[in-house]
Amino acid sequence: MLALLFILFAGLGIGCALAVVAQRNPLYSAISLVGVFISLACLYVMLAAPFIAAVQVIVYAGAIMVLVVFVIMLLNVEQEERGRMRLKFLVPTAVALAAVLIAEIAFILVSVQEFRVTPTTAASDVGVTHSIGSQLFTKYLLPFEITSILLLMAIVGAMTLARRGGLLSPTARVIPGAQQFPVSLIDPNAAPDDLTPVEPQSTDEAARLLGVGYRDRDE
Amino acid sequence: MDTAIDIALKFAAITVAFVVVLLIVAYTVLAERRVLGFIQGRLGPNRVGYGGILQPFADLLKFILKEDIVPDKSTRFIYFLAPVIATMAALMTMIVYPFGPEIRIPFTNITIPLVITHFDVGLLYVLGITSIGVYGIMLAGWSSNNKYSLMGGLRSSAQMISYELALGLSLIGVILLAGTLDLAQIVERQSAWHGMRWFILFNPLGFVVYLTAAIAETNRVPFDLPEAETELVAGFHTEYSAMKFALFFLAEYINMFTVSMLATTLFLGGWNVPFAEDIFGRGTFLFGLVSAIGFLVKVIFFLFIYIWLRGTLPRFRFDQLMDFGWKILLPLALLTIFITATLIFLFPNL
Repeated sequence: MLALLFILFAGLGIGCALAVVAQRNPLYSAISLVGVFISLACLYVMLAAPFIAAVQVIVYAGAIMVLVVFVIMLLNVEQEERGRMRLKFLVPTAVALAAVLIAEIAFILVSVQEFRVTPTTAASDVGVTHSIGSQLFTKYLLPFEITSILLLMAIVGAMTLARRGGLLSPTARVIPGAQQFPVSLIDPNAAPDDLTPVEPQSTDEAARLLGVGYRDRDE
Repeated sequence: MDTAIDIALKFAAITVAFVVVLLIVAYTVLAERRVLGFIQGRLGPNRVGYGGILQPFADLLKFILKEDIVPDKSTRFIYFLAPVIATMAALMTMIVYPFGPEIRIPFTNITIPLVITHFDVGLLYVLGITSIGVYGIMLAGWSSNNKYSLMGGLRSSAQMISYELALGLSLIGVILLAGTLDLAQIVERQSAWHGMRWFILFNPLGFVVYLTAAIAETNRVPFDLPEAETELVAGFHTEYSAMKFALFFLAEYINMFTVSMLATTLFLGGWNVPFAEDIFGRGTFLFGLVSAIGFLVKVIFFLFIYIWLRGTLPRFRFDQLMDFGWKILLPLALLTIFITATLIFLFPNL
């Protein structure tokens, strides 16, 4: 029974993984990748690690891949044309790397054959939520906190990148009262860290404050 | 042989649960139309059967008999896949909800649990499957090859991602109080105090945040931006007709039902009915029956709130919706975690 389920989910995972690289339509690839994550989650459940399985589905299938699909939909990526290979040297590289990977797998299989361990049937609490939580907040607290700081940095970085700008192009129009700028950004005489908001009430005023040329396009 | 019987029993349990839930969902649709009619001073459908009691079946028949139109330039495979994903993800969460305690069939010694299965990460399972449901809507919007559909799909996925965050965070207070993710055990923890130790008493703010986020998560009024008729025709399912449209419709109502069940399970004590245990005694048939009915009554109460809101509130604007989700609901959800953690720190044997 378990072997049957393993073959089912492993086969599904490998099939989906092949589809990810074989598909020319980026959206099909993304959906196949979701399939890979879900079959992996099923394998985790069979390995008595339900928490990892749930997190796999929530984080990868439910959050990251949704963003990927979102971007594909927004950018309206067209189907990649077949028969136009730009980077020809990648093919032999891929073959060489695949050979290395297969050799590694063969080595592991052989070494597992040599050191056969009798599998324990006793229920372990390794993959259970309680044990993961207690370990994460005691023994592995430092890596956990470092990871969270890493994520915080990523968030701050994304905010900084998304918020960059605010300067007007010479032909831009300003809706009166709609934009706010820090004084330090638009007034060269103000202190550099003065963040008092200034609200230009007209296009002319905004252009003057920003020191950009302004010309009414309707003229 | 035993495993075969086990599998057959589970299969039977799943079938029973699905049929019961689908019947309730069908009558939720009818109830919605009648209650909305009452709120708006008209009758609503009351012709098919006594008081319109057969209306859901008439609707189903109509859906089956309608012509199934597929847009010419749609992405065919994904267009067919999307309603399947939506319905499947909605139905799959049904298996972890405890509908009632163990029930003993009268005059025999057979006890059957009124829950299909329960495992260590039940709550995370529910959240995971719910997050898969977004794909149904997104892919439907993309594959229809229609601007309105695409806009509806984009809006709905943005909305669901934003509100999923607040939804998940509002549940952490309950998890802290219960100390487990298993829904059956969460209900057990609320059975003290004569069946009235409901977690809403310790975490009322979390309940409010959860309810708001859940309404947004199921794309219902006042957060039904993805299918705002006035601007997007019908949103992501503009191009869907006949049974495929019915599947999206079904998925929406099943989602309402599961979200209500989760609210009942986590905040309103699940199947715990006040003083039922003192009157009937634990493990008796009547206790099981009263508890299961109590559970359904609580769920139906939430469904009524959904309909009530639809008859009362106007729709948000999209930027208001996003502002509300990220700037109000998310900090509130974080606040509930802080409050609950403080409460548990001050009174460790709460």
